[in-house]
Amino acid sequence: MAWSKWSYMDHWVTETPQGPQPPSFNRAHMDRYVKQLSALGFRGFDTFFFYLPMLAGMYGSVPAFERFLQDNGFDKITGIFSAYPYATRYTAPHVRETHDRIFADCEATVRAVDGLSVENFIVMPSTTYFQVEPVTEEKIKVMADLWNRVGRMTLEHGMKTTCHFEFWGAIRTREQLDLFFSHTDPELVFFFCDTAQHTIAGVDPVQMFRDYRDRCTGFHFKDTHTVDEHEAYRTPPDPELMAPEVTRWFYEMGTDGGLVDFPALMREIVASGYDGWLTVEHDKAELGGGSYAEATCVAKWYIDNVLAEVSR
Amino acid sequence: MKDTLRWAYALNQWNFRLDVFVRHSDQLRALKTLSACGFDHVELPAGTGRWDNLARPEVILLNHGDHAGFLDFLRRGSVRGVSSVYWDPGQPVEEEGWAFRSTANRHDHDAIVESAKPFVEFCAGVGAEQLVVRPVGSAWMSPPPDAHGLRTVGELWNRVGELAAAVGVGLALHYDCLGAVHTEAELVGLLEATDPALVGLALDTAEFTIGGIDPVAFYQRHAGRVTHVHLKDTRYADTGQEYRMPGAETTMLRGGAGRRIERWFFELGTEGGLVDVKAFVAALRSRAYPGWVVVESDHGGNPAELAMLNSWYLQYELSVAKS
Repeated sequence: MAWSKWSYMDHWVTETPQGPQPPSFNRAHMDRYVKQLSALGFRGFDTFFFYLPMLAGMYGSVPAFERFLQDNGFDKITGIFSAYPYATRYTAPHVRETHDRIFADCEATVRAVDGLSVENFIVMPSTTYFQVEPVTEEKIKVMADLWNRVGRMTLEHGMKTTCHFEFWGAIRTREQLDLFFSHTDPELVFFFCDTAQHTIAGVDPVQMFRDYRDRCTGFHFKDTHTVDEHEAYRTPPDPELMAPEVTRWFYEMGTDGGLVDFPALMREIVASGYDGWLTVEHDKAELGGGSYAEATCVAKWYIDNVLAEVSR
Repeated sequence: MKDTLRWAYALNQWNFRLDVFVRHSDQLRALKTLSACGFDHVELPAGTGRWDNLARPEVILLNHGDHAGFLDFLRRGSVRGVSSVYWDPGQPVEEEGWAFRSTANRHDHDAIVESAKPFVEFCAGVGAEQLVVRPVGSAWMSPPPDAHGLRTVGELWNRVGELAAAVGVGLALHYDCLGAVHTEAELVGLLEATDPALVGLALDTAEFTIGGIDPVAFYQRHAGRVTHVHLKDTRYADTGQEYRMPGAETTMLRGGAGRRIERWFFELGTEGGLVDVKAFVAALRSRAYPGWVVVESDHGGNPAELAMLNSWYLQYELSVAKS
């Protein structure tokens, strides 16, 4: 049987009377967005922590938004993404003095979805590389301590804290990843596999999943055409959109030149007995004139016609 | 879409300018989009020139070798076939020396029949069931046809219908809201001027509604003549004879004048939609309509977004199983 637990990570941009905007532009656009994803057969919905107040306001409450999802064929909200990509004096995971603030933020986010059955609290465990370097074991341990603490708290609310690594983050090489996981409690801190981010950083996502299968609670299925060979990850203030050598890092599954071996990963996932969600993510799909809608359809076509054959 | 009705999707929305929908990779993305939305047959628009390589039969074949090669190309996007091809013989094309022809002019008939041949042959070659045609030109360019005029137009389409029938292809006259045949009486008159065995009607729900004809009631009265359907919605009816404005293709349909309505065609389920889509589809089901139902976005916004919304409507409001 083909894999059915596909969710969608919310980055969408749509055309509105006020130009391109996120669907949160208004309730009508948000409704259309949910219906569009529903039409393709997505059953899970991942979103950012900062959208929760908007959704509560628009639908009356976050549970009411989830009921709208369910009226349109979704199972539920599957993941909440939280991040501190840019270090400040208030929030920087490698700075222990900021941990109380980050912990409090995380607790507030988790409380906003209390009563639902959101599975993943997805975090960027570090900020940008250039703000942390030199990256030392001590700094990685400080970050691990934070997420151990947050992980214990989120489990009490029924959610797993799961770490999503960026190619431009302070934890990016295989050695750094292994070091970070060695300092975190496997019962409290989990692994979220973003196929493109790892590939750009020169890390094989299939091997990462193979090695951390027991701690893996989710995926972002997206592709890339480029491995970072110019230390773009160190570009201040932002390597994702300002790296001089690469103007677009992320692509939907199924494009020519894609570097991620999705069929191999899918085979590995199926063989492993993993039964969680697989999430499609399109990050900055509008670069170069693309559209999120078409990118999502093309990715879903790839799921239905390529990955479905692998997962049967 | 798995249903008692056969569903297809019109590709015309992707090709909004002559040079934007040419690369096969772009076309495959559109085909994959429709496949992901549950559609496995497409209606092709007619076109002209080297860039219309999903529209002009000779150019399609130049790109893909033969009919089988073209079907193989569609199948790379998981689209299994072509439901139909739309063609307006009044639209000048490079392949005909940019000749301006009118179906109302008997002197143009031989040339129009000749120009229909590539389309008929292409439909037969790729297994498309219907050649869908614009039967008359725009109302603002000619007076309403009288009985004699309707007979003249009917004679032409009987000839083309005969040509198509000889190779197993149906011919469907597509009513549109700008056409010189505008009222229900004129449309019925045109149908009566044609041989039902050779010529059918393509009923476009939005075009009918804009033109002031109730598509449900019309279908109930003339189901036997309806051999093709375009399903889309509209929020407006032409209540002020805007179709008679000079250049109505832009002054009316693009809001250049009159009430300045810049968008007339909408996806199924649009807020304020005037077409009773559920009643219309129920009528098709009740009469076991055998033809294609082609969902059409028709230049209403982002093509992929509209295909997704139309797919949602079929699945959630019309209870059509996606697969």
